[in-house]
Amino acid sequence: MNPIIEVRDLRKIFHSRGRKIIAVDDVSFDIMEGEIFGMIGPNGAGKSTIFSMLTTLVKPTSGSIKVAGFDVYKQDGKIRPVIGIVPQKLSLYPDLTAKENLELMGMLYDVPKNLMEERIEYYLKLVGLSSHANRYTGGFSGGMKQRLSVICAVLHDPQIIFWDEPTTGLDPQTRQSIWKLAKKFNSEGKTLVFTTHYMEEANNFCDRVAIMNLGKLVALDAPQSLKEKAGSDNLEDVFISLTGAEVRD
Amino acid sequence: MTVKNELRHAWIITVKEIRQLSRKKALMVPLFLFPIIMIIFFGYGMGGTVKNAPILIVNDDTGTDSASLIQEIGAYTSSYNGNPMFTVTYTRDMSQAEAESKIDAGIYKAVLLIPHDYSERLIKNDDVTLTLLTDASDPTTSGIIISFMQQLMSRPGPVSLDIPNIYGNLEYLDFLTPAVIALTIFMGSVATTGSAIAGEKEDGTIVRILMTPVSRRSVILGKTIYQLILQLARAVILILAAYFLVGFHMNGSWLLVALVLTIFTLGGVGMGIVMSTRVDDMESFFQLNLLFTLPSMFITGVFFPLSSIPDWMRYIAYCLPLTYANDAMRTIMIKGQGLSAISTDLIILTLFALITFSSGVHLFRREA
Repeated sequence: MNPIIEVRDLRKIFHSRGRKIIAVDDVSFDIMEGEIFGMIGPNGAGKSTIFSMLTTLVKPTSGSIKVAGFDVYKQDGKIRPVIGIVPQKLSLYPDLTAKENLELMGMLYDVPKNLMEERIEYYLKLVGLSSHANRYTGGFSGGMKQRLSVICAVLHDPQIIFWDEPTTGLDPQTRQSIWKLAKKFNSEGKTLVFTTHYMEEANNFCDRVAIMNLGKLVALDAPQSLKEKAGSDNLEDVFISLTGAEVRD
Repeated sequence: MTVKNELRHAWIITVKEIRQLSRKKALMVPLFLFPIIMIIFFGYGMGGTVKNAPILIVNDDTGTDSASLIQEIGAYTSSYNGNPMFTVTYTRDMSQAEAESKIDAGIYKAVLLIPHDYSERLIKNDDVTLTLLTDASDPTTSGIIISFMQQLMSRPGPVSLDIPNIYGNLEYLDFLTPAVIALTIFMGSVATTGSAIAGEKEDGTIVRILMTPVSRRSVILGKTIYQLILQLARAVILILAAYFLVGFHMNGSWLLVALVLTIFTLGGVGMGIVMSTRVDDMESFFQLNLLFTLPSMFITGVFFPLSSIPDWMRYIAYCLPLTYANDAMRTIMIKGQGLSAISTDLIILTLFALITFSSGVHLFRREA
């Protein structure tokens, strides 16, 4: 497998009221084409900052990132069309209908109209929202918003999907359906990058898991190998042993 | 990315904004009704005309020539719905100080003092001056009384009118309308731009838009085009309301009005963007907005002339862009002046637009 994302010596320093905060500290890793890659770590570990840098929203302080062969510093305009992002905040326009939200995203990604209509119909059916296509999303449940939010991110058929905490706050049925959807996208050849707080989900669905702590990458391997190395049969124990037991702010 | 593509993306954003507005019925009502309500309330409540305003005429004239003048004032029923404008009371031998105290007590809105040598001087064809005291605390009524008296005295002859503490001879509505338009456009463009962006930040939708290949320039352009359409539409509605409901008369060029409003809207949009980049949610934005726009409403001469406020306040007013927009709008709409008369205002408003807009774009691009 070839790496589709290459991260080298990545650092991100924020300056806040005279304080210097090292959010990401010298991190290097690859994400392979076609894998499901999970990023886990306690609050403040640097997951979200890496996520923002990989998705071109935040520029690194130093180091390099290549996404699908494009450099994040100079070619962010080329990266955006090949990635799809499902943000943690479900961020839909509440006063637009499900279909209008999708059309807006389709148009902003320059998806040709016929193709866009076709895909909207296909995906709405896939996630079971066809009958809600013309309803305002303001009245949608969390699960419906999450499903719609996913479609917004894949309408332009991206190679890589970034998914920030996809199942936080959802009921077990919706979580199952979200992972089923993720598996389906993966089987179509898309690379998936997740952040999650659920060890069980990282264990069950990710090909490889990166564990972050205090801005550093402390472990990166397949869930099974991580457990074997730590001599545990539970990924959560591995996580606690690597990142410490104290509660983070 | 080509310019054409950027413009297309900007237009997609514009259409989205308009569509969102059309769904927000509760917002549409105040947005379009607010200016109309302002005009009606101020137009009828404070402007327009007066009914049965009590006037005292102190006639010390020893001759008979003043009789025709008095008769004319008394008979003046330039009807407003059939009601005479003035109720006239006559007296003599009253000092100016005493007359002033009657006005202070609110008994009369105006006192006209006719000197004892009125007829004598008129016969000799000497200059003669009448004194008109008015209630300065009621600028509308006194303004109308003054303009009527001036009209009366304006015919050829030696009679002239001395009006201590002249407030102005404009009808209040004429004075008010151009500035209410500027005020509405200013508050509207700052508030709707800023709250829309702050709202999108709160909902997280702005981040989603910024994750697409659309440039931040296009996002801002799209929102700006929407604002121009919205604010100019509000101005048109307001002008139509002023024209049909309260009889406002336009003396200048519509094109210049549109030019001033367009530049001013751009400045307002820029200011809205700048303010929205400083906050993370709608509520904070509205508090910040209040802090910046409310003083403008009261000290830039929207409701009363700049000349009537204390010096220190006037210096603050000179730092606020609305002051210049008010001046430009009045110069065009009331005085019917052209481009050269408003060039200073236009330069300052353009600077305001350039500064707020470029810092808005800069802050917006640096964010998120």
